[in-house]
Amino acid sequence: MDTFVQLTINGLSNGAILALAALGFVLIFKATGVINFAQGEFLLIGAFVIWFAMVEVGLPWPAAIGVAICVAIALGMLVERTILRPLVGQPVISVIMVTIGLAAVLQSLVQILWGTRPRPFPDFISGGSVELLGTTVAANRLWAIGIVAVAIVAFSIFYTRSREGVAMRAVADDQQAALAQGISVRRTFALAWVLAGVTAVFGGALVANLIGVSGNISAFGLLVFPVVIVGGLDSVPGAVLGGAIIGLLASYTGGYVGGGLETVIPYVALLGILLVKPYGLFGEVRIERV
Amino acid sequence: MRIKQWSLAAVAVAVALGAGACGGDGGGGGGGGGETVKVGGIFDLSGATADVGTPYANGIKAYVEQHNAAGDGPKIELVSEDYKYDVAVAERLYTRLKSEGVVAVQGWGTGDTEALRARVTADKLPFMSASYAETLTDPAETPYNFVVGTSYSDQMRIALEWIADEAEGAQVAFFHHDSPFGTAPEEAGQQKAEELGLGFKSYAMPAEATDYNAQLQRAQAGGATHVVIQNVATPAAQLVKNIAQQKLDMKVVCLNWCGDELFVDLAGTAADGTVGVAPFAPVAVDAEGFKPPADHLAKKGSTLEEASLHFAQGWYTMAVMAEGIKRAADKGDVTGESLKAALEEMTAFDTKGVSAPIDFTPDDHAGMKGSRIFEVKGGQWAPLTDLMSA
Amino acid sequence: MAASTGVYHTTYRADLRLRHSRMEYARLALVFAAIAVAPSIVSPYWLTVLNQIGIAAIGAIGLNVLVGFTGQISLGQGGFLAVGAYTSGLLSAKAGLPLPLSLLSAVLATAAVGALVGLPALRLKGLYLAIATLASQQIILWVVTHWDAVTGGRDSLVVDPPVLLGISLYGDETFYWVIAFFAVLSAIAATNLFRTGVGRAFVAIRDQDVAAEVIGVDPFRYKLLAFAISSAFVGLAGALTAHYYLIVTWERFVFDVSILYLAMIIVGGLGSVSGAIYGAAFMIAVPAWIEEVSRNVTTGPFAFVSERLPAVQQLIFGLTIVFFLVFEPRGLARIWQRIKDYFRLWPFRY
Repeated sequence: MDTFVQLTINGLSNGAILALAALGFVLIFKATGVINFAQGEFLLIGAFVIWFAMVEVGLPWPAAIGVAICVAIALGMLVERTILRPLVGQPVISVIMVTIGLAAVLQSLVQILWGTRPRPFPDFISGGSVELLGTTVAANRLWAIGIVAVAIVAFSIFYTRSREGVAMRAVADDQQAALAQGISVRRTFALAWVLAGVTAVFGGALVANLIGVSGNISAFGLLVFPVVIVGGLDSVPGAVLGGAIIGLLASYTGGYVGGGLETVIPYVALLGILLVKPYGLFGEVRIERV
Repeated sequence: MRIKQWSLAAVAVAVALGAGACGGDGGGGGGGGGETVKVGGIFDLSGATADVGTPYANGIKAYVEQHNAAGDGPKIELVSEDYKYDVAVAERLYTRLKSEGVVAVQGWGTGDTEALRARVTADKLPFMSASYAETLTDPAETPYNFVVGTSYSDQMRIALEWIADEAEGAQVAFFHHDSPFGTAPEEAGQQKAEELGLGFKSYAMPAEATDYNAQLQRAQAGGATHVVIQNVATPAAQLVKNIAQQKLDMKVVCLNWCGDELFVDLAGTAADGTVGVAPFAPVAVDAEGFKPPADHLAKKGSTLEEASLHFAQGWYTMAVMAEGIKRAADKGDVTGESLKAALEEMTAFDTKGVSAPIDFTPDDHAGMKGSRIFEVKGGQWAPLTDLMSA
Repeated sequence: MAASTGVYHTTYRADLRLRHSRMEYARLALVFAAIAVAPSIVSPYWLTVLNQIGIAAIGAIGLNVLVGFTGQISLGQGGFLAVGAYTSGLLSAKAGLPLPLSLLSAVLATAAVGALVGLPALRLKGLYLAIATLASQQIILWVVTHWDAVTGGRDSLVVDPPVLLGISLYGDETFYWVIAFFAVLSAIAATNLFRTGVGRAFVAIRDQDVAAEVIGVDPFRYKLLAFAISSAFVGLAGALTAHYYLIVTWERFVFDVSILYLAMIIVGGLGSVSGAIYGAAFMIAVPAWIEEVSRNVTTGPFAFVSERLPAVQQLIFGLTIVFFLVFEPRGLARIWQRIKDYFRLWPFRY
């Protein structure tokens, strides 16, 4: 029983972090149709900026997060302005390729600025543990679940209630129709990249809080693929559910079976789910017309 | 619309390459004989293992600088390059080093060492690296690989001996990186544990995980009392933090890649009480052998504490090679073959307390047979045992 | 006929021809000449680079058959390369099969695995398919590293130096000809593929698969066929790596490799055989060239950057990709096409 609770909380908290990382991904894909291969590097930059502001500059953590958000906003706008805007109307795959180049650029910038040595992330979330349902659980895992829940709810409200959120969905649905309605597609694109950057600040901080500040954070971006696909590429609740499914699966396999099987099971599940539901669990089914 | 031609590509390639080739150094001079000996370096300065690869490479470079300044033996020219932990790049760089006439190569990780071992054998170039897999210590298999360190398998045997001494019949959980590097000491561990009457179970640590709680749960269910880690500092620190958070009663023993300063730095207070089998002593330990690298760094305005034990590891790995070069030069031309012969005659190369003495023979390329064990006390590595042999 | 404004065909036969003007034959001759003399003029280092480009070009041509011509995005390239490398490596190392047979088996085995991986393509599209192929790659790699009995698990597999009819093919200079032979063969095969009905069916599926079905192209059959044919090329490339490096390690086939190959065909030009070759050359030669140039920096007056040099190299490479694509999103093949058109029509603009 202990083991089960322990594994469940673990799986959920990993899933929550994956979902948050995935959210940035979904935001960009939903608005612009681009897979952003640089999402992992966004996490990396978020984590490094927070670390730098707190440890090297000595700011308190809320200020550090503020700085990181500013950097993320600036970065999002810069990327949109210099890279995406010239590529409007070009094949989506070229834009995807550009994000691969961007990933290399961001990763090397981080290395140039801060070197390759991993650093401990400052403890701004309690590093202790609490007793829960008869088992010991790391407090930062519970925090991660909480923070992610808040972030996801905020985004859902943004999508359904705010003007920009609705505009974003309109652009995702049909760019030309949205333009005809007087929605600025450019602004919406910029907004999507900015928001993706901001979610990455939180995602990066949570990942760094667990594994420390190092280049490995960007590899975390890859784990996001099964999550977004299981949930459905363009669905926010899908990202949450996908995160939970993948997180729990990996945790249970690791805890009960082992042997390295936990690294491959998420992908097997992914294939299985896609064979039954080709657009993920919540993805929008596209009806094709000729 | 015209059909595009595949053929034109090759023209572009040829032109690009032609231009590139002119820019290159062309063929290298002979490495043998003369007063300068060329040694190649293939390091990871920006790839997946750059965190420890950089200080290791810096140690090697620093030793060469110091060696040339001291003027003891032939001058060494180190031609080194970053391979980004990418095997294909390592292969490319190796060809260039060979064509430039190096007589030996300093490599880095398991990937490049494995990928190049067939070629260094064919090309007769002695190859040292920080991959201490036992398979590389057998000259019948890999005649040109020299392991300046205690093989992972021997480290494991030493760790298990120590555990058996401390707690009879202990249950050992072996946590390892899910790769050839990680599983290298597994077989030796299984055998040794059986001999010593210890329990031994392996647990793979998946890469890119934020925690190892799931694996720890399984280890706990299996009654593990001791954990042996064969992984690098970042995941190892993660593992000990998880153990602390879950308040598990397990004694952690690190093999050399996590028995370093970075591990303590990353794990913080959770590292206290961790034991490390470290062929190269942590720099907080008092040893006469740390003085030369420390002095060298002081001149550059840095300290050994900052540079970490991997700097000293690189330093002494290069020192062994330089000593071999000197001995080969005393006898005649320095070539891959003569260097190999010179290294194989080396006995008890003294690092003055930094590591076990280094010996090679024509049928054994495992440089060190033993290692000391250290323990983290109050955020610093401190000696726990004298030299133990496997 | 001087300075015509284009190439016009009056018969279907003429339209189907691979090359249409004398200029093209001249260029072709030039290419063969370049391939023939290259190993004797370049330095050993660049010969290795050339060999790596040759192998990558075969793999990239294969990927382009799938992605560029059939429109099925694949992130599973690394997995297919692994299947090819391990099949050929194991057959020659353990079963002692001669080189041609082990290469052929690798091609067939990879084609079969490719068709299997292509199964989800029947229901999936676009990014969903891309990620499904990524999942397949992870599963293939997992099997390769954990199937100890056959592949030797995570340990690397040592392959004997290649021998053909008693002649050793070991070494960069000799193996260059093997690679060149297969690269030329692959390029010819792929170019001709798109003059056949099968190739045209692929293109029809890419452009609009529902419409293709309406005009009688069976998507089930042709999508699987595209996966199989593409994988056959990739399997060949994988098998060549086994016999070139004499060692097969799973680390050569990780996800980064899949991305690298995708980058090759996008930078080179999707849906173009020559584009795949340009891309392979670009993605391998440019980093090598940046290394070469920046080498001198470490000793000169800029020695202070040497500590950060690897990161700077990567930065330059990343920026190159970004600028190239912002400048010409359709890749190098397109740039080359424009240059050719410009000179062909000179002094007229259209």
